[in-house]
Amino acid sequence: MTLVQIPTPPPLPVRDKTAGRALSPMLTRLAEERATGILVREHGTLYLAEGRVVHAESPFAPGLDVLLTAHGTLASAAWQRAAARASGPLRAAELLLDEGLLPAGALELCHLDAVYDAGYFTLAPSSTPGRFRYDNTPRVGPLPSVPVVALERETLRRRLLLHRLWPDPAADGAPLIRTDPARAAPVTPRQRAVLDRVDGVRTAVGIARNLGRQAFHTLVDVRRLAAAGHVTPLAPHPPEPRVTAPSPLPPPPVTDPDIALLKRLRDALEAL
Amino acid sequence: MPGIDECLLAAMRLPGARGAALVDWTSGLALGTVGDAPGGDHETTAAEAAELARMAAEHGAFAARSDDGRPPVEDVIVSNHDSYHLLRFVDTSFDSSVFLHLWLGREEGNLALARIRLGEMAARLVLG
Repeated sequence: MTLVQIPTPPPLPVRDKTAGRALSPMLTRLAEERATGILVREHGTLYLAEGRVVHAESPFAPGLDVLLTAHGTLASAAWQRAAARASGPLRAAELLLDEGLLPAGALELCHLDAVYDAGYFTLAPSSTPGRFRYDNTPRVGPLPSVPVVALERETLRRRLLLHRLWPDPAADGAPLIRTDPARAAPVTPRQRAVLDRVDGVRTAVGIARNLGRQAFHTLVDVRRLAAAGHVTPLAPHPPEPRVTAPSPLPPPPVTDPDIALLKRLRDALEAL
Repeated sequence: MPGIDECLLAAMRLPGARGAALVDWTSGLALGTVGDAPGGDHETTAAEAAELARMAAEHGAFAARSDDGRPPVEDVIVSNHDSYHLLRFVDTSFDSSVFLHLWLGREEGNLALARIRLGEMAARLVLG
């Protein structure tokens, strides 16, 4: 009897250290010169201090405030009090740490989760060039920071992970609808929480915010649910309105060699 | 109150400890590492350990009978002829998918003690 209940997803990718790819020459330069300042890109913002990412924000990733308050780890009022006294979310988190309102481990963990999550979207291919502003406000504080190169590597690894799970990125940004798979593969408890929120209106990012869960974690489950035939994007290839999440990978291969070449060229130019 | 590094350093003080890491099992990312890794590479170890942790966490066969909001599995233990690997799921009040991974030499290590201590460390990490 062979009853494989849950389709096993492909193995988690391990970075190819020999590849030496970089997401953008600008990031490489900022890392080399240990720059301090603010990098504003189309899909998010990185705060750098001495070449390390101390904070990241993206409209596609729930912030530290959402992650901490969604499940009652921290009362919303406590966050608002700290935010009102601080110059930004990172300072607010440091205040919480100072005052012992949260265990250091919990806060560090949530902060790192939020940095990698927002960083993933910030470093997604964009249609406009990023802008870096030298600014001595960001500094390495008590909360952990991440070297720019480490964030870059992890972002590339995450793209590969999503691609291996289900190569079509259409489900990342479009409103999702449920579908009835021919053979109903069971879903895991964390996937069930995502599936329960698929209503034809919410996107993966909306579901993440509703769940108080990292957006990338939600994308992993959405791609797995798409691969298993449980969900599908409402419109397979919607136009690019501002509200959709960035497609981290080029669209599926096109048969016309000229179009494929043009798309590769466009992607390469965007990556500059 | 201990942070991630303090927690990992405390795990390294257990007899026989060779290396420790805090790993996210959804992405396979090591959020903190200390000591050695099998094969010398913490990143590869984290991705492989994350596979194992995810399988244990997601397959109903290994889950506790009662669903009271705690992680379905407490820990995963792997032994080979010269070492133990102990994966301890961290029960956070916010949404996450992390575990502590302790690599323990078999000669000097005490698996029962390490399992109890790692459980306490996982709790202290997020509860203070």
